[in-house]
Amino acid sequence: MRPGSRPALPSLLRSTTFRLALSYLAIFTVSAVALLGLVSWSTSMFIEWQVQETVEAEAVGLSEQYRERGIRGLAEVVGERARSDTERRTVYLLVSPEGERIAGNLFGWPAEELEVDGWIRFSIERVGEGRFATEVTARNYTLPDGHKLLVGRSLHDAKRVKSAINRALGWGLALTILLGIVGGYLTSRHLLQRVYAMSRTARRILGGDMTSRMTASGTGDEFDQLAETFNEMMDQIERLVESIRTVTDNVAHDLRTPLNRLRSRIDVALLSETDPAALRQTLEETLAEADNLLATFNALLTISHAESGSEGFEPLDPAQLAADAVELYEPLAEEKEIAMRLDATPGLSISGDRHLMFQALANLVDNAIKYTPPGGEVAVTVARTAAGIEIAVADTGPGIPAASREAVLGRFVRLDATRSTPGNGLGLALVAAVARQHAASLALGDNQPGLRVSLSFPAPA
Amino acid sequence: MRILLIEDDQEAAAYMAKGLKEAGHTVDHAANGTDGLFLATSERYDVMVVDRMLPGLDGLSIIQSIRAGGNATPVLVLSALGKVDDRVKGLKAGGDDYMVKPYAFAELSARIEALGRRAGGGQAETRLKVEDLEMDLLARTVQRAGKAIDLQPREFRLLEYLMRHAGQVVTRTMLLENVWEYHFDPQTNLIDVHISRLRQKVDKDFDPPLIQTVRGSGYSLRAAR
Repeated sequence: MRPGSRPALPSLLRSTTFRLALSYLAIFTVSAVALLGLVSWSTSMFIEWQVQETVEAEAVGLSEQYRERGIRGLAEVVGERARSDTERRTVYLLVSPEGERIAGNLFGWPAEELEVDGWIRFSIERVGEGRFATEVTARNYTLPDGHKLLVGRSLHDAKRVKSAINRALGWGLALTILLGIVGGYLTSRHLLQRVYAMSRTARRILGGDMTSRMTASGTGDEFDQLAETFNEMMDQIERLVESIRTVTDNVAHDLRTPLNRLRSRIDVALLSETDPAALRQTLEETLAEADNLLATFNALLTISHAESGSEGFEPLDPAQLAADAVELYEPLAEEKEIAMRLDATPGLSISGDRHLMFQALANLVDNAIKYTPPGGEVAVTVARTAAGIEIAVADTGPGIPAASREAVLGRFVRLDATRSTPGNGLGLALVAAVARQHAASLALGDNQPGLRVSLSFPAPA
Repeated sequence: MRILLIEDDQEAAAYMAKGLKEAGHTVDHAANGTDGLFLATSERYDVMVVDRMLPGLDGLSIIQSIRAGGNATPVLVLSALGKVDDRVKGLKAGGDDYMVKPYAFAELSARIEALGRRAGGGQAETRLKVEDLEMDLLARTVQRAGKAIDLQPREFRLLEYLMRHAGQVVTRTMLLENVWEYHFDPQTNLIDVHISRLRQKVDKDFDPPLIQTVRGSGYSLRAAR
């Protein structure tokens, strides 16, 4: 079924919760039946014991009469009691040693075998309102003169009590099972609805709606925790997808122009040039342009690599990185008559990607040299600050107006509208990406005069 | 040199093979991993160029297999994956050099040359000599025509790399990776500036000039012909 509407019955019956509820119910029922059986058995034992007590008390009373008034008196009392018990709850029979009936409300001695201790159990037909059979438990006594006495009591009432108790227990059990099933059904339906709600959300996301999120019930239970984790995961995925989309859009948008230039250059050469030397010249220019294109492409890829995470980080000495960068760029600066200064505190450590960090630093130094006029200075500093470690590149060039500082961190931004200086406009964007990757903050400040770009790394924990 | 090329992109492979043949090499081409491994284990090559992503058997598995078989032929790994981590994986699997696509043919050719020569060269040299240029690796001194040349540490390493690859083309990227040991893309002609400094010291007062610029590729240390 499609988890859309309410949970349908068949799938509900298959649900884990419901099956769990059913097995609990089964275990509960078995123990309840055992318990009720025990209650029922002990009740009937108690009732039977009570009946026998009554019979014995009756017999004690009669034996006193016999002792005081002899057989005649006993017969009188038995006859009287038998007559007065109109409902025949108690049965009496007094017979002579020869077996002749003397008194009592039984017509003859029962044929049933005696049980232990002189107890006997038999059925009688009751007369009176509505004749019916009833079971009687009785005890027989043989008097010293050979007369025999039988005193018994009908089990009719006891049976009624017993069956009333059993009925009550049975209903109770039935109700328990019913409540168990209904409760299990309701609980599992409730849980299933939450599972289906999650499943629906997931399907919406699968269908392309990346903004869909799971709703929490607010109780903070395990479902809420699951929903929360899921939502966090989706946030992260959405961010990643968004960043991939941005890169793709930028690549598509910004590589189109140079590709088009490349294409038209070849086009024009094919149409008009016939001189092999001129064609060769065009080919060489085209190759140089293709190389530029590749460099731009690689810079974009490096940016997206920097944005993809902190894989491959190692401890780095920022002073060493700065020294290498200065050493690498020093001849270039000298050629432009720019002084390079290195002021690095040794012995510091940051965790990072060696090559990307160096690329970022190189981009900053490269920019600084590019925009600093002859006679100026480019300074690279590494220092411990209150917040952590700062790597800064400062120049004495024209600087960047405060209003444009945010903008230059974007991709393909070049303040030089004529684009006369070489570069692809990705330098600072890459630095920004590397800074984000290293949890460092990138700040563009005023060097008075010039630009001071600083990367601040949080102090290692 | 005899070169095995394992690359599934037919067009790129044909272009590469053509260029390498024009440079005087013999090239065998395998278009999938299984054929590649078969050729790599059944024939002897001077250098193998292996693409990382191949149908059948991937490039790193091929390298691991041939290395496990005791085959030490230098391998250049080609890949569209350029992260530092991927590079490390490629070299760990037994690759000797790693190149990220897209690349310039000149770069590929120079690296293949470097790998092919390296296999033959002895490892424990203490002196390097090209024409009248001499380098003492233990004393860390350089002489040309008997005259001492004073070099900065980095200039020494730059010259050492050029001398070790004397006669071969060495690209700017190779110099950055091997002399400065950073994989990065300088936006300016940095290496050219360093080379011109080195030239000042090594070539200016001597004849013939030894550091040659190879147009479109890089540099080469040899006597000008």
